Amino acid sequence: MTAGELTAPSLSGRPEVLDGPFSTRQLLRIDEALRLADESTDYIFSIYVGDLEEPVREHAERLHGQITEPDRAVLIAVSPNQRRLEVVTGAEVRKRIPDRDAKLAALSMVASFGGGDLAGGLVTGLDQLASRARKG
Amino acid sequence: MSVTNTVLIYVGIPALIVLVIAGLGMVGGGGRGTPRYRPGRPFDFTPVWFLSSPEQVSPGAEAAALPAGGQRRELTGGTENEGTPVAARGTGGASDRW
Repeated sequence: MTAGELTAPSLSGRPEVLDGPFSTRQLLRIDEALRLADESTDYIFSIYVGDLEEPVREHAERLHGQITEPDRAVLIAVSPNQRRLEVVTGAEVRKRIPDRDAKLAALSMVASFGGGDLAGGLVTGLDQLASRARKG
Repeated sequence: MSVTNTVLIYVGIPALIVLVIAGLGMVGGGGRGTPRYRPGRPFDFTPVWFLSSPEQVSPGAEAAALPAGGQRRELTGGTENEGTPVAARGTGGASDRW
């Protein structure tokens, strides 16, 4: 199952995910990027978009800890209202994506977010992180 | 050329063209339902959490996120405490703001 299919239609027939920050077309792009990232690296990539409680970093790490294999998971947590981005990499992923590279991806994502392009930034960031994890 | 003809040609036709273009603009632009994010302005939306396959979330978390027959599988911000969190050991990554 892919990101675009995550929600069943609600009673009104409109999937709840459409109340989220993305249009259908953007959802499809993110879905595709997530799928490619997962397939090409055998790590688990995940995106959270929503408010994060203070302290933001700890909240993002809690979310990351909920993924079944946190050591092999990457979480990109974005809070548009707080204008915060957190990239959390698991212990094993960290060997392939050092913090320096995560920071680099974060910088390019933040550049897009600052221009108001949430989906574009996420796709770029995912692509950067995945290609880094691939190369080793 | 009579006054009526002159008015029709020089006022009627341009007005018609303006109306047609304005109409097309309204039809094309009115269909966008998704609010746009503009940095610095409040942005109201439902939190979303994407995984390429939902079974990757720990069972407790998913049960909490699925109150009634799989209504929604992405988690909202409030459900993370009910999952089975694994202590964050040796996680890395980066933080940034814009």
